[in-house]
Amino acid sequence: MITLSYKGKNTFLEAVNKKSGSDVLECYQCGKCVSTCPVSNFMDFPPREIMQMIKLELKEETQMANSTWFCLTCSACSGRCPREINIPAVMEAVRHLAIEENFHPDSKQVKNIRKFHEIFLDMIKRYGRNYELRMMAEFNIRTRNLFKDMHLAPKALLKGKIPLGVKSVKSAKAIKKMYEMAEKLEQQNK
Amino acid sequence: MKKVTYFPGCSAHGTSEEFDLTVKMVMKTLDVEMEEIPDWNCCGATSAHTMNESLAYALPLRNLVLAEKLSNDTMTIPCASCYQRLKVTKVHMDENPELAKKINTTIVEEGNYKGRVAVKSMLQYCYEDIGLDAIKAKVISPISGMKLACYYGCLLTRPKSITQFDSPEYPMSMDNIVEALGAKAMLFDFKTECCGASFSISDTDIVLQLSGKILEMAKESGAQAIVVACPLCQSNLDMRQGDIEKKYKVKYNLPVFYLTQLMAMAFGFPKEKMMFSKHIVPVDGALAHIGEVIEEPKKPAKAKKAVKAESEVE
Ligand code: SF4
Ligand code: SF4
Repeated sequence: MITLSYKGKNTFLEAVNKKSGSDVLECYQCGKCVSTCPVSNFMDFPPREIMQMIKLELKEETQMANSTWFCLTCSACSGRCPREINIPAVMEAVRHLAIEENFHPDSKQVKNIRKFHEIFLDMIKRYGRNYELRMMAEFNIRTRNLFKDMHLAPKALLKGKIPLGVKSVKSAKAIKKMYEMAEKLEQQNK
Repeated sequence: MKKVTYFPGCSAHGTSEEFDLTVKMVMKTLDVEMEEIPDWNCCGATSAHTMNESLAYALPLRNLVLAEKLSNDTMTIPCASCYQRLKVTKVHMDENPELAKKINTTIVEEGNYKGRVAVKSMLQYCYEDIGLDAIKAKVISPISGMKLACYYGCLLTRPKSITQFDSPEYPMSMDNIVEALGAKAMLFDFKTECCGASFSISDTDIVLQLSGKILEMAKESGAQAIVVACPLCQSNLDMRQGDIEKKYKVKYNLPVFYLTQLMAMAFGFPKEKMMFSKHIVPVDGALAHIGEVIEEPKKPAKAKKAVKAESEVE
């Protein structure tokens, strides 16, 4: 027998609800989020289906879908959701749970997105600020796609669109410490 | 003279130098003194909140705490993405003091967060704190004749619970400002569609599709140019326009201005000061329309009197 309410138990639904601050069970599958979402056509499962999958405790399938990695947090969907579900927060909750458990899709696209974020955060850890040119270069090197966007480079550099250096934060130490402490908090949250 | 705290954001020293520069010009003209947060750090952008929740709060929180050391009660931020991160953090910390305490442990040396400083985007600050009348009063060379599509993107007005500003579906603040400068704001349906900025490096295909639709709709609105108030929107729509045109075999030729570039021009600053040379899509064609008279579409002729119709029936 399938029971639809997993509330009050130690379930995926509960974990997502707790992390997102929304109640996924409220979703009545109207599909408004799907027609609003600008990237639903890139997703393995559009937001409405993700909601239903969470309700059905399809944890593995939900975490392995690229959907939560493609969510842009643009909040177009949640602005229109008649059940006032914070859909991007639900997407984020699924993604954070997946990162915590180190369980997520290994498609090239998702890998690239992950890599990008990791390089970005690394850069902030080092300089306190984003160093755009280095960011682009490192991303291309680490994803072995050296010539990506190279056609834009001469224009962008010549026009001074992307500068060659960065002013870093004076209290670099404070930022490093913040990273360490944040990492500790993340561990506690698990 | 008003005073406000300024958080420039990383791109102000990089891709959006011209935004930073013109924000400063405009604020000076409007008698606002801006005080930059000393030793501010990156807001963490999309990356922090994608990967690490605590860090996503900690990075903006440090800036909020540093801002409280200045005496001003409002801070303004030109970049929509930085604005969103700082505002989300502020709202969540104010709602949940427990969480604030916890995140505060990552930056003990900076001090405790009190929640004293209001966080506003540059657009919101101009619209609410300065106001249309004050802006209008400074216009000495109106940019009349220009037809513009105002593009807000997803982060300036959404989600409503966070931004508490303008409409999440069809905002009008920027439209009203460009009209105060003399230009015509076109009816433009894609004002708040997302341009895909967070994937601008990691998944360019998504960006080309999303930004492509925005350009298409802007062109259809009859606009000669797009106006934005965010460095990410600007670089996506401007720098990637060539790729989009190639991919979809179209020609848009739509320059993408920062709102403050147009404000500064209307306030009488010379064109040479706007750093238009940094734009990839050339701006001259659009600027040449300044001074033109826009013909309003003729009102539909009055409906013939119903009496006649009745007589026909007879
Ligand atoms: S809009 Fe809301 S209620 Fe409708 S399907 Fe999407 S999440 Fe469910
Ligand atoms: S917030 Fe995410 S799921 Fe919602 S419309 Fe935007 S991209 Fe789609």
